[in-house]
Amino acid sequence: MKIPEIGTYAISFLIILALIFLLPRLMPGDPLTAICGEEVLVVMTPELKAELMHRFALDAPLWKQFFVYLTAMMHGDFGYSYYYNAPVLEVIFEALPWTLLLVGSSLVLSTVLSIIIGIESGWRRGKITDKFLLTTTMILNGFPNFFIGIILLLLFAVYLGCLPLQGAKTPYSGLSGINSMLDIAQHLVLPLIALTLAQIPGSYLLMRNTMITTLKEPFVRTAKAKGLSEVAVRYKHAGRNAMLPIVTTTGVRVGTVVTGALFIEIIFSYPGVGLLSYNALLMRDYPILQGVFFIVAVFVILANFVVDLLYTKIDPRIGVNNAEYAH
Amino acid sequence: MHINYWNELTRNNFGKLGLAMLCFVLFIALFAPFLARYDPGEPSHAIFMQPSFEHWLGTNDIGQDIWSRLICGAKNTLLVALGVGVFTTLLSTVIGASAALVGGLCDRILMRLIDALIVIPAFIVIILVAAYVLPNVWTLIFLISILTWQGGARLVRAQTLSLKERMSVYAARTFGANKLYIIVRHIIPNLSPILFAVFIHSATRGVFMEAGLAFLGIADISTVSWGLMMHHALRFYYLDVWKWWLIPTGLALSVTIMALVFIGHAFETAMDPRLRVVEQEDWQ
Repeated sequence: MKIPEIGTYAISFLIILALIFLLPRLMPGDPLTAICGEEVLVVMTPELKAELMHRFALDAPLWKQFFVYLTAMMHGDFGYSYYYNAPVLEVIFEALPWTLLLVGSSLVLSTVLSIIIGIESGWRRGKITDKFLLTTTMILNGFPNFFIGIILLLLFAVYLGCLPLQGAKTPYSGLSGINSMLDIAQHLVLPLIALTLAQIPGSYLLMRNTMITTLKEPFVRTAKAKGLSEVAVRYKHAGRNAMLPIVTTTGVRVGTVVTGALFIEIIFSYPGVGLLSYNALLMRDYPILQGVFFIVAVFVILANFVVDLLYTKIDPRIGVNNAEYAH
Repeated sequence: MHINYWNELTRNNFGKLGLAMLCFVLFIALFAPFLARYDPGEPSHAIFMQPSFEHWLGTNDIGQDIWSRLICGAKNTLLVALGVGVFTTLLSTVIGASAALVGGLCDRILMRLIDALIVIPAFIVIILVAAYVLPNVWTLIFLISILTWQGGARLVRAQTLSLKERMSVYAARTFGANKLYIIVRHIIPNLSPILFAVFIHSATRGVFMEAGLAFLGIADISTVSWGLMMHHALRFYYLDVWKWWLIPTGLALSVTIMALVFIGHAFETAMDPRLRVVEQEDWQ
């Protein structure tokens, strides 16, 4: 790993820390409610106010406040939600598994699907299959993710009534074992399809374009000339090489999937981080919003970082070049 | 090689369709005062009316005419598209081009900043900001632009770096042309295709983001915005009103985004020589 790249990610991290710190403190009005959320006013007493003022060092200069804030962060103290009456981290960790399930499965599914249809479409460029796939995805590209979610919700849950309308599992069902997993899967279907459909066009177009340019490379002709089967040329030779841009944009795509999940969760009332932050937005529960923002942003930065690390492993040519420059 | 981009755009099927759709939305936005049959903000006692001759798409929960609101929403969406498009392109150009032209430490710092900003999810930053200040249309345009210029700046920088080394620029310099002359006469005209691509791309993202934020309820309530209409309509999904309230609004939004996406795709295909040849063979 090169040092400069770590530096870049450190800068992103610092920008996020600074945003969370500065936003509530620079806003007009009482910084105490801006930090603790409006719900704090309900339980506010002079003693609590004095204590909170002391805890966030709000009467001290800004640099000292930042120091106090950093120390709290490093102890894992993300604040206290007076709406849920629980520490922020606790509330977020309750919602996080659902979002990870949704985002993770959608990321895998959309990547695999767009790679396959991208390869097939690029291989048959100009043919009827390619035209059909390209036109369909371009139209799909015009639909915002929340509208796709709404259409699926109305069609399958409201109109046909064949899939659950909301939530991540049937409440108070007392299901266990395999039945409970089936129940969770059933609730996951619609949000997953909606999120995946919204995700496919971007990566499909990238995959198709790369496939078209890769197919013109000499090594593809060599593979064909060696008498390899068509499937082997398409997937093992051209497809594998055309996959690189998809892999390298995974970090960026994590960002869009997470943002997409936010909307999808709201539409299907899926109890993940997205729904949590939406409710926090309505309630002006700032600690939760700041916590969610921090965790999501750090998650996306880490994903980018890991992809950067893996990048050299996947494409050996980059590692070789670097080694040559080093000598 | 000189390419007439307008010709390329109108020869591509997606480009033609996208332009037609955009013109349609533009027409509706311009003639909204004549097409709307009621004041879009005027509530009445006739709530939840079914579509009829008086109310083509019925009325909403406070008795506003949905057809009139749908028509007037086009203006807001196009304003955001234009605003975000222009402002983001301006920011990308100034930052990207100055990084490339000044070079040295300035370039290194700006590139590092771009790399650092690109991994921060802009949408979530805006939501956090909006929790403190409810933005109106102009602050929203400003916010979206200030958070999404990085990708465009990187493109502009790369293109400017390659333009700087061109023979024509070198020749102009030997004739004694100063920096300003080279920027105005050589760099900027050759940047224009990239700038148009950045413009279309940011306009699309702007429309999508504005609608998304309004859908979350982050919008000035007095504006007639399609996203905000969907936000209100979704609360009544268990009634039949979604058929003429939620779906047409979503479709109007999708048609606008689709138009921009089509134009963007056609233009990018025209710009990438490797794809251009292929597409020309296939798409006529």
